[in-house]
Amino acid sequence: MNWRLVALIVGSLALLAGAVMMAGASPAVALSTLFKGSLGSPQAISGTLRESTPLLIAGLAVFLSLRAGLFNIGVEGQLIVGACACSVIALRFPGPIGIILGTLGAMIAGALWALPAALIKAYRNGHEVITTIMLNNIAGYFTGYLVAGPIRAPGQQNTTTADITPSTHLPNVFNNGPLTVNIGIFVGIVLAILAALWLKRTVAGYELQTVGANSTAAKLAGIRTERVIVKAMLASGAIAGLGGAIQVLAYEGRFYLGFSPGYGFDGLGIALLAGGSAYGVIPAGFLFGVLAKGGVSLGIQQIPKGITVVVLGMAILIAAAIRYRKVKTVA
Amino acid sequence: MHNDLFSNPIFNFLAVTIVLALPLLLGAMGGLTSERSGVINIGLEGMMLIAACACSLAGQKHGPIAGLAAGIFAAIILALLHWLMTQVYRIDHVISGMAINAFGAGGSNFLFNRFYDTTQSASSPMLPIWIYKWIAFLVPIGMWIYLKKTRGGLHLMAVGNDPDKARLVGIQPLKVRFVALLATGIFTGLGGVALVTDTGIFTDDMTAGKGYIALAALILGGWRPIPAMLACIGFAFFSALRLQLEGNQHLPQIPSEAWSSIPYLVTIIALAGLLGKTKAPAGLGKP
Repeated sequence: MNWRLVALIVGSLALLAGAVMMAGASPAVALSTLFKGSLGSPQAISGTLRESTPLLIAGLAVFLSLRAGLFNIGVEGQLIVGACACSVIALRFPGPIGIILGTLGAMIAGALWALPAALIKAYRNGHEVITTIMLNNIAGYFTGYLVAGPIRAPGQQNTTTADITPSTHLPNVFNNGPLTVNIGIFVGIVLAILAALWLKRTVAGYELQTVGANSTAAKLAGIRTERVIVKAMLASGAIAGLGGAIQVLAYEGRFYLGFSPGYGFDGLGIALLAGGSAYGVIPAGFLFGVLAKGGVSLGIQQIPKGITVVVLGMAILIAAAIRYRKVKTVA
Repeated sequence: MHNDLFSNPIFNFLAVTIVLALPLLLGAMGGLTSERSGVINIGLEGMMLIAACACSLAGQKHGPIAGLAAGIFAAIILALLHWLMTQVYRIDHVISGMAINAFGAGGSNFLFNRFYDTTQSASSPMLPIWIYKWIAFLVPIGMWIYLKKTRGGLHLMAVGNDPDKARLVGIQPLKVRFVALLATGIFTGLGGVALVTDTGIFTDDMTAGKGYIALAALILGGWRPIPAMLACIGFAFFSALRLQLEGNQHLPQIPSEAWSSIPYLVTIIALAGLLGKTKAPAGLGKP
């Protein structure tokens, strides 16, 4: 057993328990509140699946870039740009055609938003983390400007677009009283499976992972690493954009200021937890969905909601420490 | 006479620029010590945020000095956590930085909502802001001298450029980086404290991307203290200009979002190599 890892996990749990007690609740009650709020009733499960959908897709977007050795921190920006584009298109073309065009538009928007980072990484060797952080901020300001002015719903006080028509919504698969499950979550799951197969079974997928594992070796083996980097980044951006589209078409029905509570960031945690296979994104996304949904119940219990963000941070550190556990400390 | 001078719009504008530049300058210097030692640091935002929160809370209970101390202490904790995760646990620097930002955002929200005494007056007592002005403008000059002229500074640069070679000549990157991140904690702590001194009270996400702009300024300045300082002042100048020009009827209206995007856009253009070559420390991210 790795003592460093044990120390990290025990330390994190102790800190969390301390924080919860500091907030005047018992850790056991907090934990049961968390699970009751996320899995305790059909409504809670519906909510958890809803929360899991964008997380799963965002996690998949980060995962794909991670396999190519890239940190796409820009999923956040690509997702909101995609959601914004999707809601504009879906408002313009109601009905199934709007779903298709909106989804495509969102994927293109997401990929375009990743393009500068992709090109700068591939051809200028500028760190993609920095460029995507900058692009996230620009995406926030850009969509904020759009939704405050040009695309704001007429006569609306809030910074939001109009609602898309019910015929443009993605249908529910189950609609059994309190348990409603939208097709969106299945889109995410299918996408994860497809990505896993693509990475495993295709030449392009193999090349992508080779570049991620060792780009010098890949280059020597004749892979055009620059192109692979650009493609991986664009694919990651397109998936992120798709995540935004699903969120609009399946659940939100509109785009508004503050659309994403940090899906891109959570996506990094999910991708790290997922380990080596895209299948892992599915349970990891679900786990983050449980935290997100259960965190709302904690908030009702007078425990400030920031604690769930801290938990996510710890989850990321622990997942990363597991991943890097074989690396020795050197002086 | 004194009053006349400061009611002059140009002086007012300069004063606004300087106040806006303070957190950027201190944040960028925090990033400088970290990245010059080879530790990628995207966690500046979280460190400044937790410092602002701690300063506001401790300031309310125990006065301005305690606020300053608590702010610096809180940022040091996060900075040293970053050291622990990247150097001892050896996880990727970007991942650790993201986690630091999560701790900053979530932790400050938790602590402030839990401990802020709403029955007391809204703003906490703070030290006068001129103190931070002096510090913020002296630190980059000090850093410049330190990096160029002292043994410690050369060791720091050596570790950042090539940790393996540094090991060969007997420098221990682990120790050098510990000190570097301690300094990062102090500087980002001061940055967060300066930020909350300006407003008087902590609010959720009050850094609003200033940690990232500080990082952008550092990159734009080619990881050198004086150019980074100039980049910070430049970004602050544009923010101040925006505040000045907004709502002026005679000028064409530029959306405030476009103004706010300038630092980020400039950084992307710089990274694309369109503003000449900037050289990152060669050992950035290396163990």
